[in-house]
Amino acid sequence: MLLRRLQLRNHRNYAHLDLTPGPGVNLFIGDNGQGKTNLLEAVAMLALSASPRTRRDNEVVGPVAAATRIEAEVESGGIVIELAIALTVEGDRARRVIEVDGVRRRAFDLPGHFRVTLFWPDDLGLIKGGPELRRRFLNQMLVQVEPGYARALAGLKRVLEQRNSQLKRMAAGDGGGDVLEAWNEELIRIGGEVSIARARAVQELEPVAARCHSEIASGERLEIEYLGPPANVAEAVHNSLAEDLRRGSTSIGPHHDDLRVLLDGREARAYGSQGQQRTAVVSLKLAEAALVAQRTGERPVLLLDDVLSELDGERRSALLRQVAGAGQVIITSVEAGPFPPELISSARVWTVSGGEISTCG
Amino acid sequence: MPQLPEPLERLIQELSRLPGIGPKTAQRLAFHLLRADRQRAESLALAIGDVKARIGYCERCYNIAEGSLCAICISTRRDASLLCVVESALDLLAVERTSEFNGLYFVLHGVISPIDGIGPDQLHMPQLFDRVRSEGVVEVIVATDADIEGEATAVYLQRALIPLGVTVTRPAHGLPVGGDLEYADELTLARAMAGRRSF
Repeated sequence: MLLRRLQLRNHRNYAHLDLTPGPGVNLFIGDNGQGKTNLLEAVAMLALSASPRTRRDNEVVGPVAAATRIEAEVESGGIVIELAIALTVEGDRARRVIEVDGVRRRAFDLPGHFRVTLFWPDDLGLIKGGPELRRRFLNQMLVQVEPGYARALAGLKRVLEQRNSQLKRMAAGDGGGDVLEAWNEELIRIGGEVSIARARAVQELEPVAARCHSEIASGERLEIEYLGPPANVAEAVHNSLAEDLRRGSTSIGPHHDDLRVLLDGREARAYGSQGQQRTAVVSLKLAEAALVAQRTGERPVLLLDDVLSELDGERRSALLRQVAGAGQVIITSVEAGPFPPELISSARVWTVSGGEISTCG
Repeated sequence: MPQLPEPLERLIQELSRLPGIGPKTAQRLAFHLLRADRQRAESLALAIGDVKARIGYCERCYNIAEGSLCAICISTRRDASLLCVVESALDLLAVERTSEFNGLYFVLHGVISPIDGIGPDQLHMPQLFDRVRSEGVVEVIVATDADIEGEATAVYLQRALIPLGVTVTRPAHGLPVGGDLEYADELTLARAMAGRRSF
């Protein structure tokens, strides 16, 4: 997987950018607030169709005009594809138009054409933070490798909106228990698609993540457990009716999924030190890239946003070992300090300043 | 902005209320009609008036009809034991064009959508159930869209109709005729594989 060319128009602080990254390591150095993360965000959007950073599309639209355009030429399996995302601000939202090779496609049809593994400071809270971070981790990986997953995820969101709306009508005395039954079936059907994909992915992730973690943390045993909906979903949905009516929301379904990460049998979230948790995060992210490569036969483009400076010792070395010879890698950093000289000498190095990127050797 | 004569202004405003017509297009259409010869413009006005005066909904199936029943419900050559439920009159036309179906229809004019306040009553479903009970229907084909609301509506109908003793079916998902297998989208292909038949 290769990003051959990236063009941005009015994306956050980039008025205009035309970038041709190299096939190996690309290092972008610049002070904070100059546009390093904005660059990676644009690349990630081409893989995920939406920004991994914000739910509000209009936030990425820069100040020059009421529209943004992200265009890229990517190469997958020897075939070159052109991808484009155009955003036009409409009130407090943005309209998104997606094109693959010049043909308009729906948002959930974009992922899978270009695949990335993104690792940025937000991910350092993957173990410690709320379950939504761990669901996002699974989703970002799965939309890129599992056919139909992005569509199922969009469908699940819609089913929940409709079912919750029906719950509120019923709670207000509008009747309609028979209509709710229909939404229950939809929830179980589409929720099943999502949770089967997640359960399978976790099974594939675990051995890779465990091997990686054990190497960094001298033999410490990492286990991941997928905490999905109960085995008998139909019964659980049925039994939760009173509670759902009271809250006006759906308490059973993959939108409450979580991952439990265990280190030597103990919950990492509660008992792990910050160092142990970070090792587990690095291991999970490396396992993610390995799973994408395994499933698709092609390494994803690795996007590392300023995480190396947050890591130390073995964790940093493990990541750098992975970076060397990992195909295309895009790294941002405030300084060149954390990188070994052999990496810098083989990398293409760029500087980022005020929404402009220039090459420096 | 310079003031346009009141009748022209009013025409622009009316046109811009139509779906898919913005203010610019409305202006262009209005000026086109202004330039067009009188007969052409009046014929358009008459056509609009006629549609509203003479076309309504079939009281049996809610298809568009000139009179109280639509052409399909009036026909004696249709098989009344087969009933096809569709979301819109346009979907009905699409099924009709196949010439593959010789039964009767029921047009919902929408799908179940709690967000929009649309439930079975708004879609005339009680009338549908009455028809199934009283008109000797043997099979109901639920041909709603394959999107989330269309599927939920199909599930609702299936659950409500089966106790009435009819067979409830759903059109198969499959490969487009003449389409290349390699270009089918993944979900369509997956469903086509899951729904495969033996020769």
